[in-house]
Amino acid sequence: MTLKEMARIVRPILLGIPGQARHIAQHDVPELIRDVRGFTARDFLVFSKYWLMCWLCIGKVVLRRGPIGFTRELLRYPWMLHLLRVTKLMRRLARGRHGGYLESICMAVYTVAALLAENLEEIFYHKDSLIITEEMVPPDIARAMGLNVWMLEVMGILLPMLSPEGTLKYIDEAENAGINPDACSLPKATVGMILKGHMPTGLAMVSSNMPCDAGMASYSYIEQEYGIPTYRLDVPHNFTDERAERLFAEDLKGMIAFLEKHTPGRMDWDRLKEICEGRNRMLELELELWDMIRLRPAPLAAEAVILSHMWHFNLWAGHKLSIRHYERLVELARRNLAEGVPAMENERFRAVLWNPPFPHFIDIFNRCERDFGVVLINDSMTYNHHTPIDTSTPDSMVRGLSTVIMQGPMVRHTRGPAQNYLDDIFRMVKQFDLDMVWVANHVGCKSGQAINGILREKCRAQRIPLLVLDYDLLDPRIVSQDGMMNQVEFFMENVMKAPRLDQETIPC
Amino acid sequence: MRMPTKTMRLFDDLLESPQNTLVEQASQDGRIPIGYSCAIVPEPLIMADRLFPVRLHATGVTGTEMADNYLSSFVCSYTRSLLEFAMDDRYEYIQGWVFVPSCAHMQRLIDNLEYLRKPAFSHVIDVPRKVNDVTIAWMVEELSMLAENLSSHFSVDLGDESLSRAIAEWNSFTEIVRSVGELRKRTHPPLTGTEFHTMLMSTLASPKDLIIPKILDFKQEVQQRGSPVDYRARLMLVGGHLHDPGFIRIIESQGGLVVADRFCTGSIPGLMPIEMNGDPIRNLAEHSFRKTLCPRMMEEFHRRVESIIETAREYKVDGVVIEIIKFCDLWGVDAMPLITALRKQGIPVLKLEREYRLGSEGQLRTRVQAFIESMGT
Repeated sequence: MTLKEMARIVRPILLGIPGQARHIAQHDVPELIRDVRGFTARDFLVFSKYWLMCWLCIGKVVLRRGPIGFTRELLRYPWMLHLLRVTKLMRRLARGRHGGYLESICMAVYTVAALLAENLEEIFYHKDSLIITEEMVPPDIARAMGLNVWMLEVMGILLPMLSPEGTLKYIDEAENAGINPDACSLPKATVGMILKGHMPTGLAMVSSNMPCDAGMASYSYIEQEYGIPTYRLDVPHNFTDERAERLFAEDLKGMIAFLEKHTPGRMDWDRLKEICEGRNRMLELELELWDMIRLRPAPLAAEAVILSHMWHFNLWAGHKLSIRHYERLVELARRNLAEGVPAMENERFRAVLWNPPFPHFIDIFNRCERDFGVVLINDSMTYNHHTPIDTSTPDSMVRGLSTVIMQGPMVRHTRGPAQNYLDDIFRMVKQFDLDMVWVANHVGCKSGQAINGILREKCRAQRIPLLVLDYDLLDPRIVSQDGMMNQVEFFMENVMKAPRLDQETIPC
Repeated sequence: MRMPTKTMRLFDDLLESPQNTLVEQASQDGRIPIGYSCAIVPEPLIMADRLFPVRLHATGVTGTEMADNYLSSFVCSYTRSLLEFAMDDRYEYIQGWVFVPSCAHMQRLIDNLEYLRKPAFSHVIDVPRKVNDVTIAWMVEELSMLAENLSSHFSVDLGDESLSRAIAEWNSFTEIVRSVGELRKRTHPPLTGTEFHTMLMSTLASPKDLIIPKILDFKQEVQQRGSPVDYRARLMLVGGHLHDPGFIRIIESQGGLVVADRFCTGSIPGLMPIEMNGDPIRNLAEHSFRKTLCPRMMEEFHRRVESIIETAREYKVDGVVIEIIKFCDLWGVDAMPLITALRKQGIPVLKLEREYRLGSEGQLRTRVQAFIESMGT
């Protein structure tokens, strides 16, 4: 990198410092004081513990790399600056929450930070064993082969959670390069990051036909840009029978052979067994958690359930910290249940969120809990039909993993007949005793958009209130946070006949 | 502008409504129209015995208000138009539907059709998105299942002999169409791209045996023409579904003669002959993969680019126009590296986003005119 290029990157950062400082002084500090005032002494201690642990994770990464090395990495991956906002995210999500619920949320955010730090160190120090994967390709097999994995789409999801505008420049970059503006903003952000050279490259790449056309098609470009050997997994349309399982298991074996050919990774079946057993343990714990949140009022909810699944099952299944996280979640839920403490004191309505969540407005359910007493019990990205993986033989493990992928959230819902999508919604309504269905109507998700008509009529027939909430996955310019809250308010007032909690008149 | 000939007027008439006179004639003779919507479906399989294929089209659609309620307005207008026509009972004559979930839009079209107008016979071919020995074997099984279902539902013979006859008939049909297409390689072609596409679309929307004599008439007529077509630039069209010849007519009104068509409903490479020796179902499976250059096929980007470059050279093309139906993610995203790859080869490229039905004609004219001028022709 030349000095001129460095200056080009550093200049806007330096110029932005006064503005950032002003923002912190005018908004962040008063917000922090306001939030902390709402905590009990115990809540404050719990929050402070995880706050400190997050900063320790960040500090460890910086110190290990050293100031010069880290600055160099920062210039290579400028989005890392957004990661400094992780404790702010924790604060946004912790707002108004107490006890075990608060702890579960803080813990979920902390584990994201801790494992992300581990992932960053992999890209800093272990480029010789780094492979690139697409979001729906679970890294279990590659990790069992001794490889490190960087999932390209992860930052597209994480950055807007940390700062809502985090991916906008990448989206614009991709659109300016010619990608269709109506495509999903996640592949657009990913392509934009690659165009800007802000993504690491690896020895080889594994992509797939999941979850959508835009995501899949974007890998034609990514392959050209990276120029590295690429393997593509192909989940069949009708994936529920033996024949499809056989086909896809063969595909996974093809992927193993490909990785052995193009990387130093070698399949270690004992290691895979460990990972699969860890995944099974997490599944067992998750099912216990689901059994508890079925009860009204739920002992835990929202991000404790959905963020945990999204991060740990998709990226870190079988990892010690992920297993420990789920064990602790279950402990907290059990304790709340035993003591009769609900996650949310005013649990008026129980909701499911269908389709991808709202990364740039990740605290929307925090707002809705406080404003309307709407508690998010589970979501489509978490809800799955996984069964424990049979770890008795290498074949059975590959077969089990192939089912996990095909039956996983999004994969299951974006292929096959509409029943795969619709039946799960109505099954969840019964299973979790829900009062309403929220559809995250991401403007770039054509598959979801095109099934809303049927869903609307089916919900009407079953008298299930349905909110179709228009938004864009990563781009708040399409529908702003205010615009999203207006839709919620309109729905709550007109369909649910439930005014905001602070407007409710207390009966004499 | 050349006046439409008698056969050209007939082709135009055949495209006016999905239920055209030739389809009616065949139906009255006890034959069974099978609708399909994707180029991957092997036509000979639905040409055997009394079956005949009809490429689903909604030419003349004026709006998609009913379909938008179900599919939303963010889905490609081809699928919306098909659903609109289906909801308006414009495909009542179709006795069976064969689909490929080639993209998310098509998949949801199938879902909505099943929900709103459940056809008496409907079959979905699960086509893999990559090609190797394992997926070819899978495709053979898929086509065998389709043959079995068609055979038992309609009591038709889809045995090896019957299929081989259908393949032979299809091969001779494509040979005739290809021979017309070959005329476009001439420095001064005797026919326009609009005429060729009108002819091709009517063959897709009619029983092959009934349309063949008309194509032969047209070929003879074209060969006897005295004056060749005048043009400023030779263009190649690339993209997804293109049904309405009016789109090409507008391009050609600006002096751009469309001499090659590499899109789903075009002739390149869709009309290459099918192998006659060996298992007919396997031959159909291999042919389906060979002729499919859609971006849904994950590992075919290089083949797609090479095929375009090769065709551009073969037809002495001055520039490539990529036409994409708005909201099509496959072509929309793929166009980005595709344009770069073509420009690297020195081929001028124009990307046009359009709707299924013809619209924004003025804008289209201006962009084509500017493109032709930018090429300096």
